[in-house]
Amino acid sequence: MRLPVGVKVGAFALAVMGTYTYYANSIPQIQSKPPAELSLEGGNVTPAQLVKAGEEIFKTKGTCEICHRIGQKGTRAPDLAGVGGRAGKVKPGLSAKQYIIESLLQPGAYLVEGYPNIMPQVDKPPIALNRSEVWALTAFLESLSGTVDVTLDDIPKTAGAPAGGGAATELKLPGDPKAGEAIFTGKGACIACHKAGKVGASPVGPDLSQIAKIQTPDYVMRKILDPAGAGTVAGFPKGVMPPTFGQTLTAKEYVDLVAFLMTLK
Amino acid sequence: MVRRGAWAALAVVALLMMLPALPALAQDAAREPAYRAFPLIGSRLAVWAVAQLHLNFAAFILGVPIFAVIIEIIGWRTGDARYDWLSHEFVKLTFAAFSTTALLGAFLLFLFVGYYPKFWTYMTSIFFPTYWVYALLFFAETFTVYVWYYGWDWLSGPRKGIHVALGVLSNLFGTAILLVANSWVTFMISPAGIDESGALKGSVWAAINNFTWMPINIHRLIANIVFGGTIAAAYAAFRFLGAKTDEERARYDWMGYIGNFVALSAFIVLPFAGYYLGREIYAFNQTMGITMMGGFMSWLWIIQAILIGVLFLGSNYYLWLGMERIPGSERYRRYVPMMIGILAFGFMVWATPRSMVITLDEARAMGGTHHPVLGFLGVMSAKNTAVNMMILTTFVSFVLYRRANRISTRPWVGTGMVVQWAVLGLAAAVVVFYGVYGYFVESLVRIGFSVYQVLAVLAAIVVVMAIDIPLFKGARSTGTIRWGTIAPRSQYVLILLAVTFTWLMGLMGFARSGIRQHWHVYGVMRDNSVDAVTPAIGYAANMITTVTIVFFALVMFIFWLGGLGEKGKVGESGHAAAPILAGGSDAESAGTASTGESRGGQSRTGESEASSAGESRGGRSRTGESEASSAGESRGGRSPLLP
Repeated sequence: MRLPVGVKVGAFALAVMGTYTYYANSIPQIQSKPPAELSLEGGNVTPAQLVKAGEEIFKTKGTCEICHRIGQKGTRAPDLAGVGGRAGKVKPGLSAKQYIIESLLQPGAYLVEGYPNIMPQVDKPPIALNRSEVWALTAFLESLSGTVDVTLDDIPKTAGAPAGGGAATELKLPGDPKAGEAIFTGKGACIACHKAGKVGASPVGPDLSQIAKIQTPDYVMRKILDPAGAGTVAGFPKGVMPPTFGQTLTAKEYVDLVAFLMTLK
Repeated sequence: MVRRGAWAALAVVALLMMLPALPALAQDAAREPAYRAFPLIGSRLAVWAVAQLHLNFAAFILGVPIFAVIIEIIGWRTGDARYDWLSHEFVKLTFAAFSTTALLGAFLLFLFVGYYPKFWTYMTSIFFPTYWVYALLFFAETFTVYVWYYGWDWLSGPRKGIHVALGVLSNLFGTAILLVANSWVTFMISPAGIDESGALKGSVWAAINNFTWMPINIHRLIANIVFGGTIAAAYAAFRFLGAKTDEERARYDWMGYIGNFVALSAFIVLPFAGYYLGREIYAFNQTMGITMMGGFMSWLWIIQAILIGVLFLGSNYYLWLGMERIPGSERYRRYVPMMIGILAFGFMVWATPRSMVITLDEARAMGGTHHPVLGFLGVMSAKNTAVNMMILTTFVSFVLYRRANRISTRPWVGTGMVVQWAVLGLAAAVVVFYGVYGYFVESLVRIGFSVYQVLAVLAAIVVVMAIDIPLFKGARSTGTIRWGTIAPRSQYVLILLAVTFTWLMGLMGFARSGIRQHWHVYGVMRDNSVDAVTPAIGYAANMITTVTIVFFALVMFIFWLGGLGEKGKVGESGHAAAPILAGGSDAESAGTASTGESRGGQSRTGESEASSAGESRGGRSRTGESEASSAGESRGGRSPLLP
């Protein structure tokens, strides 16, 4: 029996596409995941924790490894092996940490000979590291044959772009901040663990006095509903924050609370 | 046709009704969640599927009219009614897909407004003025294409010039639509004209004229022509395979050849447009460029190289098979193995990666992230050399095909051919020289070398054709092309090319969108949805294949619908009747019928001179190729490039 042309052509086309699809599924599968936000402000972080967090940023959100290698000369950017030890001698008047911070925030200020001025500012989009992340990354780079002595105060207050990317994603939250403050101090009992500007003083959880400056509304909303899933700030114990606010707060109370937290800048 | 027109009009009206509502919707969106979830498959897959389908159809309806009008002009100037028929046939295909494109566009807009309201609000805050321009252009194009298609008979004869002008105008409107839509999509990749908060700083023009806008305009315009050519050729192949008579087979063999010729002609310059686009991406943001080529997308380019290799090999194979139906082509067969060798080697070089994501064990086994030998073939110098040599080889295939049944009678034939081969050899030498020299210079200098390579190849093509056209004008024929006698497997090659190019378009769409990673608008508006992960290549391939299957199913259905309206009306619709080409078993008797049919058409248009002389002789008398009349119709009224 002769097959209709449509069937033969259709089978042929499917075989061609099937081959391409099979091949594409046979090679290494690499996803590009959005980087997680790291917040270290207000926490007691040890240098070792800081360096570990910085290494993670170096390899993931910072996308440093696209151009830099450690222990291998790159064509696009210098080898960073031993950078912590030599950074203090590169530019007169700048200590190691100052030089590293300048290199991260103003990469064009000093160029290593032989390399083009192609490095983006790490605190600006699309890399957009926040202040905590710049701190951790600096610590990691210092740790490469140097001494980790960088503190959060060394990182300029202006460093770090809002993770939402500016006005385009800025939310005008519908909640009432005043009512939210009442939830914070009352029904929500947040004040038991957190400080929020002039409200509260408990050191159990991170200080939220500048939470709106360093975190997105999305993160704050997620953190209230799913504290474990949103991650625990370094230096604080895990599992302390109750996961029940989604059940205990009404929708309006929840929105009001978020609106209050987003006023803390 | 009227029903399809009504659907298109409905879609346009729906789009326009959306426009005034957009600011209000935008305000609502500000109070609404940033995202909503599309049922079952999620918002990303819904947008992906509809966007890819819309782009496939849009590419087809924008690409085909470009070469349809060129073919119509050829038919008009040479008086060869075959080209008029072919042009009408191509526009008919486009026309059938027009309303589907509009409906998919409207559907895509609904998805953005409904499921990505924040994103759409932001885009509207930047591009709102362009929406009106887009809508007006859409109206203008729709009506121009309608008059172009339906006025085929009305604007024939002395008014043919007006008809051609309408075709040109519809292409200008279509291209303008492409430019407007490209401004939106390229702004998402390389935003410009905005301040740090993402707000428009001054004129919207700065946002439109961003880094990747012009490169993508050029790349898409060329790619649309390639795509249109491959789909039209696949349609012809399908009709060829299902043909009941030799006459029908001959007609669709010729149509498939023209479709492939168009696709191939545009395809050989596409890699250059791609390099221009890549360069601008690097110029906009080094990190984005490096992520695209050396980061998580590095494997994607291996697949792209394989697909392009298939396209080159397939196109050449089709030409070689086509030569078998040309008496006298035997003398060129000895060149085929050499050409296969160059194409295969170029294919392998282009598919060789420089570096890729590998495990530590693999890296140890290989002695590093780069292979000690093959790694050298992965750099841009080798790839530029490979693609330029493949383009030159493909051009040689075409030149050989073109002269397969012709023997030049010019006294300077020897000199001409020596110069042609010398020019080709020189171009190849320039390409190889700069390819090798590129290994010894800085990367910035090396990038500049690619310009010399491209110029050498383009110059060779221009010079060889400039010699070839007069060289073979009025040439002695070794026989008529036996249209319709080509091996059926050649038609599967045409289908392979169409499927591969459609799949490649899907893949490049994924690359274009994927390089933004977790950003709706790169560096400005972050993707905070649940779909912010950019999927791996396997997932993307599954999606691309699924959508491509749907696309071809829709195309088949639309073409079938389009064919229904034509059944039983051949010759009555007023446009040039389907031509009878040499090669059919009843070609001689059919030739009379063809002339008669054409006369019927032409007498209505007032071309009494052409009709009395017969369609092909009418063409020749104008081109002055009177000596060609004895060679049979395939050479009659022949355009300088098309057989």
